[in-house]
Amino acid sequence: MINWNAELAKRLACGEDERRGLGPLIRRFIDLARKARKEGYLALEAEAAQTEDPLLKVGLRLVAEGVSGDDLEDILATYLLANDEKGWPFLRACATVEGLVSVAAGDENAIMIRKLVAYYGADRALALLQELEGASA
Amino acid sequence: MIRAVTEVVWDEIARPAGVSRQKKDAIFELCCRVAAMAERFRESGGGSLEKDAAIEKRKLLRFGLELLVEGADQAHIDFAFKHSPISLDLDAGTKLELAAVRTGLSALAAGRHPSVLLRRMTAVLGPEYFDKAGDWLAEKARKRRKRDQSLLVPGDLPDLVRSLALDPRSLERTMRAAGRELAVAALAGCAQESVDLVAGFYGPVGEAAFEDDAAWQRAKLSGDEIGQAQNAFAEVVKRLEAEGELELGPEDEFSSDPAFVRELTRAVMALDERSLRTVFKEGDSRILALAMQGLEPRAHERILGLLPNRVAKRLLDAVDDAAILPRRDVLLAGKTLAKAVLGHAALAKSGPPESLESFEKVRDWLEDVET
Repeated sequence: MINWNAELAKRLACGEDERRGLGPLIRRFIDLARKARKEGYLALEAEAAQTEDPLLKVGLRLVAEGVSGDDLEDILATYLLANDEKGWPFLRACATVEGLVSVAAGDENAIMIRKLVAYYGADRALALLQELEGASA
Repeated sequence: MIRAVTEVVWDEIARPAGVSRQKKDAIFELCCRVAAMAERFRESGGGSLEKDAAIEKRKLLRFGLELLVEGADQAHIDFAFKHSPISLDLDAGTKLELAAVRTGLSALAAGRHPSVLLRRMTAVLGPEYFDKAGDWLAEKARKRRKRDQSLLVPGDLPDLVRSLALDPRSLERTMRAAGRELAVAALAGCAQESVDLVAGFYGPVGEAAFEDDAAWQRAKLSGDEIGQAQNAFAEVVKRLEAEGELELGPEDEFSSDPAFVRELTRAVMALDERSLRTVFKEGDSRILALAMQGLEPRAHERILGLLPNRVAKRLLDAVDDAAILPRRDVLLAGKTLAKAVLGHAALAKSGPPESLESFEKVRDWLEDVET
């Protein structure tokens, strides 16, 4: 059950243009999951070395290390919350954590996409879902 | 939406911004101490925590350790830290220390591995401490290296793991889909060979954690619990196979021919020590490691017991590196070993007749492996 609260809703609020950034982020996670399945999860360490995003960097290294489930979610949420972000950076960080937990669980693309498009908002999620599923097929 | 974010109490979050580098370094050292305490706790039980609590100087940590000594579980630890006067009116640095200690002791009470515990604790300090924690864990993993030399396992799950390991991506895919907790509980019922096949997927730190957890759960879980975990693991394999994510080969392709294993084992057990030592010292480690997949554990023990530590280690490393072979390849490697032994016996003009007879049978094994 989601314990929705006003503070969380306020922090997640951001403009439509910013929210469009979710599409490329989700595509990145589809690529990362594909790479992990094809080359093994340790290959994610090389991806971590190339990324500038500190949350994605530590997350990929934790996934490669075998941390998953609640442990991974709690650790990444601690990093996320320690930054005190709002708006698009916060939304992007939440989607990043969700994506990393999904990669660690070995979710299929279809499941991962459904988890992540939810951050786009109900009104736009369906269109993005169709677009991404077409691209990842 | 991620649970850990939806459940957070926003005004209780401890943040590293504004806390001095010196204080954060001190908290990092404290995190490492708690991870070391967790390690000792796993090794020697609750008595170690009592000793740690008695000599602890940090007020917050001593408070938490005393709770653990009294038998507090994860929920009690969280509740006590949240509502105790010890948590009131703290400066930013102490608030951060409190967050680290509460997280760590809560993880300890929940039975988390010390490496996960350290990752959880140091997360409150921010990403700049991630590498430092990684270095500490890598050093611990390097020092703990230990190896069980048993290589053959009865039962269904080891066979399933061996089958999956023919395509390492399939095995890794299954491990990830099963989740770490289930995988560890299932593998806890298997001998070291199965754990070795799996643990290598996680890098040095993750490998050490997986091996430790499997050994720890082996001592902690009942046979029924391990059996349930193994059934659940097998269900994951079935599901992935049904979804077309895995393709398992026929079972007998991966299992050795029992008659061949018996004959080769008999040959090795009957061979004189000198000949055995010479063949294994001078032979190609890779081929010998492959041949060992066609031997029973008692033959492994005899061979490894005869070799100098350095040679045994080289052979074990080759065993670790070797893929799980299909039956035909195990036969071929065994025949190669037989040819080497017989060649040595012909040169030395010696060797126990019953052993050489068995090696001749192995060399001429009827199954047509060379076509």
